[in-house]
Amino acid sequence: MHRILLATTLVLSACNDQGGDGTLNYYFTYDPRSLDPALSTDVPTGEVVSLLFDNLTQFDPDAQLKPGLARSWETDAAGLTYTFHLRQDATFHDGRSIKAEDVRASFLRALAPGTTGGRSWPLYPIKGARAYSAGQTKNVQGMVVRDDSTLALTLEEPLNVFPKLLAMPVAAVVPTPTPSDFDQRPTGSGPWRFVSWSHDDAIMLARNESYWGGAPRADSLRIRIIPEPLTQAAEYESGQLSVVEVPVGETRRWEQNHADELQRRPGLKDLYVAINTTRGPLKDVRVRRALNHAVDVRTLLATVMADRGVVSAGSVPPGILGHDSTRAPFGYDPARAKQLLSEAGHPNGFSLKLWRTQRAELARLAQSIQQNLAEIGIRAEIVERDASSARAAVRNGEADLFLTDWWADYPDPENFNYPLFHSRNKGPGGNYAFLSDAPLDSMILRARATTDEAEKGRLSRDIDARVFELAPWIFLWFPVDVWASRPDVRGWRFPLVFTGQRWMEAERIQ
Amino acid sequence: MTRFILSRLALLVPTLLGVLVVTFLLLYVAPGDPVQSMVGERADAETLARLRAELRLDDPLYRQFGHYVGGVLRGDLGTSYITRRPIVDDLLERFPATLRLAGAAMLFAAVLGISVGIYGAWRPGSWIDRAATFAAYLGVSFPVYWVGLILILVFAVHLRWLPPSGSANPVYLILPAITLGMRSVAFLSRMTRAAMQEVLQSDFIRTARAKGLSQTRVVLSHGFRNALLPVVTVLGLDFGSYLTGSILTETIFSWPGVGRYVLTAIDKRDLPAIQGSILFLSLVFVMVNLLTDLLYARVDPRVAYD
Repeated sequence: MHRILLATTLVLSACNDQGGDGTLNYYFTYDPRSLDPALSTDVPTGEVVSLLFDNLTQFDPDAQLKPGLARSWETDAAGLTYTFHLRQDATFHDGRSIKAEDVRASFLRALAPGTTGGRSWPLYPIKGARAYSAGQTKNVQGMVVRDDSTLALTLEEPLNVFPKLLAMPVAAVVPTPTPSDFDQRPTGSGPWRFVSWSHDDAIMLARNESYWGGAPRADSLRIRIIPEPLTQAAEYESGQLSVVEVPVGETRRWEQNHADELQRRPGLKDLYVAINTTRGPLKDVRVRRALNHAVDVRTLLATVMADRGVVSAGSVPPGILGHDSTRAPFGYDPARAKQLLSEAGHPNGFSLKLWRTQRAELARLAQSIQQNLAEIGIRAEIVERDASSARAAVRNGEADLFLTDWWADYPDPENFNYPLFHSRNKGPGGNYAFLSDAPLDSMILRARATTDEAEKGRLSRDIDARVFELAPWIFLWFPVDVWASRPDVRGWRFPLVFTGQRWMEAERIQ
Repeated sequence: MTRFILSRLALLVPTLLGVLVVTFLLLYVAPGDPVQSMVGERADAETLARLRAELRLDDPLYRQFGHYVGGVLRGDLGTSYITRRPIVDDLLERFPATLRLAGAAMLFAAVLGISVGIYGAWRPGSWIDRAATFAAYLGVSFPVYWVGLILILVFAVHLRWLPPSGSANPVYLILPAITLGMRSVAFLSRMTRAAMQEVLQSDFIRTARAKGLSQTRVVLSHGFRNALLPVVTVLGLDFGSYLTGSILTETIFSWPGVGRYVLTAIDKRDLPAIQGSILFLSLVFVMVNLLTDLLYARVDPRVAYD
């Protein structure tokens, strides 16, 4: 009997396919929508695009901006024209050299009106790009190829974050004209070459031996599509995945069983409740502050999120210019909350609706917030919808409160301040609080435009302080990411922005 | 028989038309914004308006419906808003995986469920029969989701006998097939047992025994064949639902089938993909039912369709 079991185990173990020692195994939660940078609106597409392609600029795992295809760049005194100098040793995977004209053609392709459903806003700051994208002009006047290795980009208005926008997946450089199956079998120029893509199953990549930045250490990278977090964890524990994000509910167990394998650091994220500042009693800042005092954030963080977060007193997370670690959070103080409600004319509280999506960890969180609010007389009805329906309602201004999060695309205070709080972005743009504050708007625009880094830092701190004062959110916490990497994997760190890990240094050791 | 098949195929048209109308109307009134899902965060109002116009989402309902039906009649289920690929291609790529999983689950359920059912009818009250009854209750009571995760924990994480998820080779089929087929094992074993018990009380069984036939021959050749009709019904219905509704199992085991495609389409409000998938799956379900009906005639000569 034992022999049979042993034989069965050996046969079945042989079938566990990790792809050999030179293969690293990663995963996405869902299938990329496409492998075409012009269609990169989702995280998996963005991640795989960052492996297969190059941008003028790029991020490292610590979210530092690094040269990419552009070995250097400079801006004029007004901050309007950026001149990029391209490296001359970069080639596409088919051997063709990458020239400035390829960059221009790639940007035009991403902006083209026919590229249905892309996410081309990172290129809109270029003069004429928006009109071109809307089909109103035949060319983008702000893009000028000076010679094979020099590209000048002139902007509509000064924007100091522009080089970071060019590290976004939609700004990746592609070999034009692209064949019709480019979205399924792309030729790029990045550290990894495309090998195969079996939808909803796996993407196989092989290292690019002739990459200008040096070939990746591992032979190949297999990216599995694994939707269920507990299955992801099981794949890791059975040795089938090189790295995994630890599910929130499993944090304590992993801290005990896999302590040496864990990596832990605050991501560039916010978890918050957006307060619609245009609805009923929520128009009054005293009411919004009362909501902040009513919620016992520290207890929620410990009990619901296994302490995976840093309590927030503003929207700019640690590590980003403008974050102020000295500012104290509102703090749990129901008595103060009741007093503020009375001052605002609502001594007996009122009713409102708290919207949330169906994510499991948000369910317990919403219930706890509901309970906290009830203690000061606010009767919150929880409205649970799938993400698409909930966001549609919130963007239309139909929700009083919305429990949600925000992940930075690029590491800059602008990526928090401008989309989340500028009045131009009310609703679909990301300002779910529908905040409209003229002094704040003015500071945000100045912080975007200045070429003086010190002034940008000062303005960003002031913006964050003003946001905290206006209390357009119930400030919860900056989530802390917890990832594990297998003991036999070396040289991998989880990235602060989703395009920041290109798997160059990662390898499996014996 | 030919007339029967033709009349059933003719019925397909109003059935599928009904599915098409109901799905279209439901999706039209459902909340959520497909355009927002396409462009992600930070989209501006102009881009959203342009996309809505490109996708004809601003057209009146009757025009949108007419456009869609026109495409379906030409065999074109449309293009996914999200992947920008033809939906027919997306579905045909994933359907073989769903078919493999449904087939394996049915094979597992049929072999185990029928064997246990026959044994239970043959030796009622034996410990195997009682254990099978108990297991059947558990089988119908445990949620698929829970069973799948427990199987992964035991056989993949602790024993390391099987891979946790994926579809690289036939070994990867074992855990999802057991998970998906478990409820059918429970139903089939109880159904077979009940049908067999009834048949084994019949006069012709007594006659077969009186002729001196072996017990095995009496039970399998004479008894089981006559108890097969309700079993075929359950097999057909379950197979149809496996082909069309194994979303949970496919998700837990990262199985690249149609179920996950539908789930993603719903999540992203990919309207053409949802409509196309439902139409396709309805066609599959109706065809499986038709095949089940045809099997009746093979199993029981008394059933005639002409």
